[in-house]
Amino acid sequence: MTVRLAVIATVYRHLSHAQHFADRFLVGYPYEGAWHHPDVEVVSLYVDQHPVGDQSADRAREFGFGIYPTIAQALRAGGERLAVDGVLIIAEHGDYEINELGQMLYPRFEWFQECVAVFEAEGRAVPVYNDKHLSYDYAKAKKMVDDAERLNFPLMAGSSVPVTWRLPDLELEHGCVIEEALVIGYGGSDPMDYHALEGLQCMIERRRGGETGVAAVQMLEGAAVWSALEEGRWSRQLLEAALSRGDSPQGLTVEDGRSQDLLGSGELQRLVEQPTAYLIEFRDGLQATLLMLNFAIADYCFAARLQGSQAPVSCQFFLTQAPNVNYSASLVAKIDEMFQTGRAPIPARRTLAVSGYLEACLKSHHQGGVRLATPHLSATYMAPLESHHARQ
Amino acid sequence: MSRRPRIAAVVTEYRKFAHGQHIVDRFLEGYGWNGRHHRPPMDVVSLYVDQRPEGDLTEDRVRRFPQMKLCQTIAEALRLGTDDLAVDGVLLIAEHGQYERNEKDQHLYPRYEFFMQIVDVFRATGKTAAVFNDKHLSWHWDWAREMYDLSLELDFPFMAGSSLPVTWRNPSIDMPLDARIEEAMCVGYGGVDSYDFHGFETLQCMVERRVGGETGVRWLETYAGERFWEAHHQGLWSRELFDACLCRSHSLTPARDGFNHIFPNVDEQKRIATPIAFRYEYADGLPATMILMNGLVQDFNFAARLEGMERPLSTQMYLPMPPKWKTLANFFSPQVNNIEQMFLTGKPTYPVERTLLTTGLVAAGVDSLRQDGTRLQTPHLEISYPAPSASTFWNS
Repeated sequence: MTVRLAVIATVYRHLSHAQHFADRFLVGYPYEGAWHHPDVEVVSLYVDQHPVGDQSADRAREFGFGIYPTIAQALRAGGERLAVDGVLIIAEHGDYEINELGQMLYPRFEWFQECVAVFEAEGRAVPVYNDKHLSYDYAKAKKMVDDAERLNFPLMAGSSVPVTWRLPDLELEHGCVIEEALVIGYGGSDPMDYHALEGLQCMIERRRGGETGVAAVQMLEGAAVWSALEEGRWSRQLLEAALSRGDSPQGLTVEDGRSQDLLGSGELQRLVEQPTAYLIEFRDGLQATLLMLNFAIADYCFAARLQGSQAPVSCQFFLTQAPNVNYSASLVAKIDEMFQTGRAPIPARRTLAVSGYLEACLKSHHQGGVRLATPHLSATYMAPLESHHARQ
Repeated sequence: MSRRPRIAAVVTEYRKFAHGQHIVDRFLEGYGWNGRHHRPPMDVVSLYVDQRPEGDLTEDRVRRFPQMKLCQTIAEALRLGTDDLAVDGVLLIAEHGQYERNEKDQHLYPRYEFFMQIVDVFRATGKTAAVFNDKHLSWHWDWAREMYDLSLELDFPFMAGSSLPVTWRNPSIDMPLDARIEEAMCVGYGGVDSYDFHGFETLQCMVERRVGGETGVRWLETYAGERFWEAHHQGLWSRELFDACLCRSHSLTPARDGFNHIFPNVDEQKRIATPIAFRYEYADGLPATMILMNGLVQDFNFAARLEGMERPLSTQMYLPMPPKWKTLANFFSPQVNNIEQMFLTGKPTYPVERTLLTTGLVAAGVDSLRQDGTRLQTPHLEISYPAPSASTFWNS
């Protein structure tokens, strides 16, 4: 049966997240070597802002759906009752305020609550996909997951980093013992550190015992990042492994094309003007680190040392090129799977965990890089057994 | 070999993004491999550079790697001031540089000429070394065949080709060994007597694994302009395989303004692309088509229909291509890694016959295009060889 879909977006303009995601439901996307037209009909759209280049009216006209002034009306498609089988909340891009932690205050929580209010009023709930993190605020994010569990509707959220191609096609064995993990990334906070942390979490959640929650976090900046290396708080071996997977070293590579041992040569420290390290201590003792290495690299790469093996495992999360950004097709395939099966293939608790420790790291940074205990980050979950990244 | 192998590098140019720079730099600087910064266990001891254009990096590399002696001739690079052959391996990289074009618009890179100078040293000293020849063997078929024959006559390990067969694949799959292939296709991009070679190598490294092994190519014909679209419309090659290739691309030009990724209908393809198809038939009857779909894609995608399989097998041979999306052309890393293995073991990891065949396909393609697409019989390309059973593409 065709899934009727409501799209709730901040902005709908060319190359915004809403355009990437909603368009794939309108015109299809490549999946496992064929162009797939999902059995989904977009029936309604709510769009919060209309910047220059707004495409919402054009799309509504071409594809025959309505634009509604409120989220509730979009979910009811202008009628009296809930009129959709799925909701896509894409609250990324657009002009919103930034708080003292540097977080953009996208109204994901508020919009989700409006959906929940409709579901409660109707006594019926439908699957929801929430793009990127759940909320900038952990308490709000937690309430989103709790509401979905309370009303028993499938909720999926997150980044496309966990579902894109990997170079090489690395998947950790379910139940493996991870001694230490590290991810490297680049870009600004909090959009891009969030993506890198989702990459980290989708790998380490497969460890023995599943996700246990976070005991403490600390975010370091500048020279303190390298001091932490000297103190053994993150692993040089894992950084070398992650760097070895990159295709975008800066500096001398840009100058004359040469390959570089960025770490061994010391160029890394020279190139990165303001490194940041997100140190995350999990409750089961696992130590994981995100290093944001702006001006030295421009890839997202993962490395981990597994019990019983000397050589680390590592891969690049392959973010394919614009404008196609095929990684969004990988994510839409998973969203479509949720709509078709009524089951979220990727746990929302992954994104809850990441939303929580990212916010805690930003608070640590705001307080001068102190270590913060995180008793509130107690949510546990088990990783799915099967793989959900692009590999077919 | 107990000591570290000694390597001579013979290149047309050594400047940023020239193949000479990509390949020789990896031997000198090392490269990311299997989670390490890998340093090849061998030394480039000599360098011959034919042209020194603006941006030439020769002086910088020779200064920073003093074990690498800059030589004025190819013979000197191989002899290093002795009467003997002084190296265990030779890198012959004759891609890029200012060389003339002939009446067929072929770029006359001096691969054959350099190769003959290398062979002269082998003959004079009575010794040989392993040789890697970057890209195709020669623009001139007879010379390419002579290069191959000389490697057999003098019995030295000889490897050649493109990085397409060895780079990452999305998905990370190989053609099942002894597959029964009914039709094969590559959709790529680039120019004639240039990237067409990469397209042929992409296709060849997959189909050579079919049951019975490689049998060679019986004929080749080409389709450009209106003839392409008419053949496309007639279904001369499989639309299903063509569509599968486009669905593996990461660079499909949006057919409509305001969309980032939308599948183009044939009218839209016609508006966007300037295609050329090289259609050929193998001696065992396998039909193959290599299409340069300029304007529509900027990557190399492969698809094949296999007996008994409901859907085509398809993948993209992925090139992290600088400078637009990446800074480092890391598809050279698996190529260098395979070359290293040959230098260490004396055994090529994949057959040079593959590249002999694709060299011939490039030349036949040039000739057919000049004759309005005429089908050319290619008895000289009935080259048979077994594919290596081990996969050699980058998957670790």
